[in-house]
Amino acid sequence: MNSTPQPSIKSLLFACLLSIILAAIILLVAVLPAEFDIDPTGLGEKLGLTVLSKTVNDVKPSALSCSDHSTWQDTAMITVPAHKGVEYKFHVTKDEKINFSWHTASGIPLYFDFHGEPEGNTTGYFKSYKVSTDHQSSGFLAVPFTGVHGWYWENKSNQAVVIILKTQGNYRVVGLL
Amino acid sequence: MLLLLVSSQSFAHGVDSSSEQFLTTNQDIAIAPFLYIGAKHMVTGYDHILFLIGVIFFLFRSRDIFIYVSLFTLGHSITLLLGVLNQIQVNAYLIDAIIGFSIVYKGFDNLSGFKQIFGFQPNTKIAVLTFGLFHGLGLATKLQDFNLPEENLFINLVSFNIGVEIGQCLALLFILIIVGFWRRYRSYYLFATTSNTLLMSGGLVLIGYQLTGYFTTL
Repeated sequence: MNSTPQPSIKSLLFACLLSIILAAIILLVAVLPAEFDIDPTGLGEKLGLTVLSKTVNDVKPSALSCSDHSTWQDTAMITVPAHKGVEYKFHVTKDEKINFSWHTASGIPLYFDFHGEPEGNTTGYFKSYKVSTDHQSSGFLAVPFTGVHGWYWENKSNQAVVIILKTQGNYRVVGLL
Repeated sequence: MLLLLVSSQSFAHGVDSSSEQFLTTNQDIAIAPFLYIGAKHMVTGYDHILFLIGVIFFLFRSRDIFIYVSLFTLGHSITLLLGVLNQIQVNAYLIDAIIGFSIVYKGFDNLSGFKQIFGFQPNTKIAVLTFGLFHGLGLATKLQDFNLPEENLFINLVSFNIGVEIGQCLALLFILIIVGFWRRYRSYYLFATTSNTLLMSGGLVLIGYQLTGYFTTL
């Protein structure tokens, strides 16, 4: 192309070898651990790079409900993502009873607020029946008014938590809100 | 180099999230936004920039720079326009690996690798044009990921293409200012081998990164 001095074949091969070694080091130590959580040398973990490829919020709130033919009527599996809160509700008419029992599959405690909102109310008013932090809770409720009743669970841990909720009573499942 | 790779990785595989949101919801003629997204893609796309550095590394006359950059532009414009209009879609990881290869090729070429090892010099103009075609196919693949509406597609596409050229001119301007300054010193020539070794290395990292992406998402 021009009069630039050509490198000797020796330095050319050295350059090629060096570029391959350099690329391999960058890939194995930095790029693969950080992008794909592939860490053949273990250095990515030590340098803390592998956290970049682990997404915390890839779990979405979800609920799986099915009828239960034992003493319980319905069983729901509710997933609460890390650092997120979910609501799971039932529609119950005044003076009807709802029996419930829930626990977290991993035993991780959740902050929860068991409450009800009167039907047709637009002011945002709600009545709390129990507010606590625990990995389980059970009992029964004779609802004081017609409306939606249920739980708000907040997961303050770093991992998704699955709740197993069993219920029985005269209600309609509203589900995740 | 490392910092560059990590900080701009979100752009490496296409378009950033706010542009993405615009691209998927837009229905109308939007010349300015498409110009901007095209330009931004080029300025922040280190794969295209590394290739351009390789291309101009040993070009000293403005006329040569103009000819080679025009060939690259011609190549990627052809495949960008035809690719999107004919809905030709190639795996984004594979096309990005080829773009990585184009950088390795150019670094190797700058080290006179072909002459020294294979005893002949492949036509550099044809090489730039060919790799331009691949770079354009990469742009087309990324743009098609957004299911652009049929209506006004052509005008928006041309706007994107012109944006790409504006971005390329801007990037080239910065490269030429820095390279032009460095060329006044002997160190530019002393470090020519090192620079092109690093260029090859950067290309190899891109190939490894993209191929791993390809095989992990199979």
